[in-house]
Amino acid sequence: MKSLISSATWLRARAENLVALLLFSMFASFLLQILFRYLLGWSVGWTVEWVAIAWLWGILFGFAFVVRETDVIRMDILYVALSRRWQRICDVVTGLLCAAIFIWTLPASWDYVTFMGREKTAFMRWPFDLVFSVYIAFAVSVIVRSLYTAWLGFTGAQPTHVTEAIPEIDDHV
Amino acid sequence: MFDPFVLAIIVIAVLSLGGLTVGLAVMCGSFLYMILKGYDPSLATESMVQGLYNGYTLLAIPLFILAADIMNVGSLSDRLMRFAQALVGRFRGGLGYVDIVASIIFSGMSGSAVADAVGMGRITINMMMKSGKYTAAYAGAIVAATATIGPIIPPSIPMVLYALISDTSIGYLFAAGVIPGFLMALTMAVVNYVQAVRRDYPIDDTVPLREIPKLTFEALPALMMPVILLGGIYGGVMSPTEAAAVAALYALIVSVVVYRSVNLSQFYHALLNSARSTAAVGVLIAGALTFDYVIAREQVAVSLSVWVEGMGLGPMGFLVVVNLLLLGLGCILDAGAILLIVVPLLVPIAAALGIDLVHFGVIVVVNAMIGLITPPYGLLLFIVANITKEPVSRIVMETIPFLIALIVALAIITFWPDMVLWLPRQLDYQG
Repeated sequence: MKSLISSATWLRARAENLVALLLFSMFASFLLQILFRYLLGWSVGWTVEWVAIAWLWGILFGFAFVVRETDVIRMDILYVALSRRWQRICDVVTGLLCAAIFIWTLPASWDYVTFMGREKTAFMRWPFDLVFSVYIAFAVSVIVRSLYTAWLGFTGAQPTHVTEAIPEIDDHV
Repeated sequence: MFDPFVLAIIVIAVLSLGGLTVGLAVMCGSFLYMILKGYDPSLATESMVQGLYNGYTLLAIPLFILAADIMNVGSLSDRLMRFAQALVGRFRGGLGYVDIVASIIFSGMSGSAVADAVGMGRITINMMMKSGKYTAAYAGAIVAATATIGPIIPPSIPMVLYALISDTSIGYLFAAGVIPGFLMALTMAVVNYVQAVRRDYPIDDTVPLREIPKLTFEALPALMMPVILLGGIYGGVMSPTEAAAVAALYALIVSVVVYRSVNLSQFYHALLNSARSTAAVGVLIAGALTFDYVIAREQVAVSLSVWVEGMGLGPMGFLVVVNLLLLGLGCILDAGAILLIVVPLLVPIAAALGIDLVHFGVIVVVNAMIGLITPPYGLLLFIVANITKEPVSRIVMETIPFLIALIVALAIITFWPDMVLWLPRQLDYQG
């Protein structure tokens, strides 16, 4: 069990490295694009494509593997006012409903992603099933996490997500 | 039996209130609608992944977040504060004005109210509490209230979101926010003046006038940021998205080279923090994109427009209703959720009534920002409560006069479109 937790921590740290790298690459690509386009007068296409891929992956991969339960945006004014018992009921209901809906739609989404393998991106010629495959990882992560939330609610093991008083990370709007 | 669309809305509400992330709740509702209607649910998936992949303008969001995170790590904020103090610290209740001026300048560099409160706000609150003359609750209230200017004066993350859902130009939206932002600052300065006189707030240690040139020079690299950003966009040199990248680069260069205050590990943490925030807001956008498909399929906008036109409200009546609706929703909903889920339903009606969509954008963004300081759910209130260690309820009491001031500003913004649109028109906006 201990080694499982430590390898999970290790994996999470690598996932963090990856999303930080994705954001940095997005930043760098933009700067290269500006350099090429405005200062050197070259036309570039791959930077536009890469930033779009990094953005898509940054969101879906980041949400699936890096964002913590306390980071996300939620409307918990009602939830936090509930007794522990009702919170557990909420966890079970929301967890199971969310998991069920994502499981139900997974085959169709899988078909869509694999279908997109016929098309390639305009400049780098990457097949779109590769680009969009991150959605599948995202959906599977949502299902696993929802079931876990429901399980914790069912067993009452621990409160899953009591939002701290300050959202250090937020949607920045 | 329930209509699938109504059922989808109910599921979104139940899941969100049950503690699920809003973005995921919206995806679930949209998927459920597709399933019940017998449509292929992958159409909603397609709407999401294609929408994100092709949402080039949205890329400004992570870059604006990164720029703000870098500035908050570095000492840029401190220097700006000292500059603002030299300018307006010499009046009664001076630190209040310092906060207002600093918020205006910071607004020109960051597109987020939260970044403003966390960065500049933390410093102002510390200064006000250290002086011993201001209550912590007042310090928290003024910081929370002035942070709402952040996304009104460009750049602005909420306006990028609005541009996405309304198909309006980010450049014109940014320009339209400038005068309303200053107006909001002015109304809050009035409140600070009244409170300073009434409570006999101190005249703070004044910075001698001869030190102003030196402090200005020190703050100059930071003060240049809005000039570069807005000059780049309006000079037609860069797209707003590219300008966001330049802003982040500029913040990095200034912090590392000029102020020597950011090291590699801090930069990595700024990146990681920004990536987390990006994923959090990104999932909300992803949810909104799936919901977008449902709204289009259901032709909700058409039926709503017919319904609203049937009430014979007229454009001004409609705007009053929108303001009341959004202020009400702001008490319980997150600003992002309002902009991405509620506002898309209102935009077509506004267009049908002949309301200028840039003007409408400023109105809804101001509403969403006021929602950040209205209880029970006001993100900025929670942030300043955490910084000041005051209970939210006491801060809320002190926030009320500022809230009234902001609502007065909102009314002026709503009923005087020419004021909002004056600057965009100078930049060739046809509207």
